[in-house]
Amino acid sequence: MATTTAQFTLTSTDIADNSLSISNTMTLTTAGTATGITETTGLARKKIASATLADLITIASTDVTAAKSAKVYIKNTSTATDKWGLVGVGDSSGTPIYIGRLYGGDWMLIPWDANSGEDITMTMNDATATIIEYMVFFE
Amino acid sequence: MATTTAAITLTSTDLLTDSLSLSVTQTLYKAGTTTGLDSIQYERLEVATGDVYDIVDATAAGANKANKIYIANKSTNDAYYIDVYIAALAIGRLYAGDWAFFPLEAAAATQDVGIEAIGGAQIVEFALIHEGKTLVAS
Repeated sequence: MATTTAQFTLTSTDIADNSLSISNTMTLTTAGTATGITETTGLARKKIASATLADLITIASTDVTAAKSAKVYIKNTSTATDKWGLVGVGDSSGTPIYIGRLYGGDWMLIPWDANSGEDITMTMNDATATIIEYMVFFE
Repeated sequence: MATTTAAITLTSTDLLTDSLSLSVTQTLYKAGTTTGLDSIQYERLEVATGDVYDIVDATAAGANKANKIYIANKSTNDAYYIDVYIAALAIGRLYAGDWAFFPLEAAAATQDVGIEAIGGAQIVEFALIHEGKTLVAS
C-alpha cells in the first residue's frame, strides 16, 4: 500500500474578531479500510478554450470504481480572478449538478462517487484558453 | 475586507515511482474581484443516520458567487462515512478522517449541501466562507 496525505489549512486573522485557523490532514485510503489508495491519474493538465459544457474527467478515462473513496483535486491555473470554470458532476450531454465556480488560482478537493453518468464537467465563463490541472486518486 | 487563505499539500513518497509533493495556496476572493470574502459560518455537528440533512441552505444572496465550503468527517471508525450531497445528488463519500474543500454555486434554492451518515452517527465539522446569505425573518 501507499501512503498519500492531503493537508488542509484555512487561516485568517481578520474574517472575525478572533483569528481563524483550521488544519486537517487526511490519509487517502480505500473505502472502509486503513489501507492506502494505490491508483492515481497523476497530475494532468487540460487546456480548455471553449465556453461550452465539456467533460473534464470521465469515468471511462480513469477506470475508477464507483461508490468507493475516490478523491478529485482540480485547480484553475489562470491568474485572472475574473475568469472561472463551473465544475459539475454529471453527463456533459445533459444537465450536470453544478458544484461551484473555480476562479483563477482556485483549487478544490472533493470525494467522487463516480456512479454511471457522473463524470466531472467544466464550463468556462468565456473562450479564453485556460489550463486546468487535475488529479484523481481512486481504487 | 478580510484576507483568508486556503492551502493544500498533497504528498506521497510511494504512490508513484517518484515522490509526489504538491502545494497550493489560494486567497478567498469575492466573485470576479480581488476583494476578500468576509462572511463565515463554522459549525460542528453530530449527524445521526437515517436521512440526508442539509448543512447549508442555498439562498438567493449567495447564488452564483465564489462561496467556499470545507467539510470534515471527524469519525475515527474506518467503516463509517458520510455521503455528501449537492441538491439531490450524492457526489462522494467522506470516510472517517476525510475532508473536502470546494466552491459552492448554490444557483437555485434546491442546491443545498446535504450530508448523510452511513454506519453510525458521526461528528462533522464544516466552514462556509461566503458572500452573503438571505436571512429568514423570525
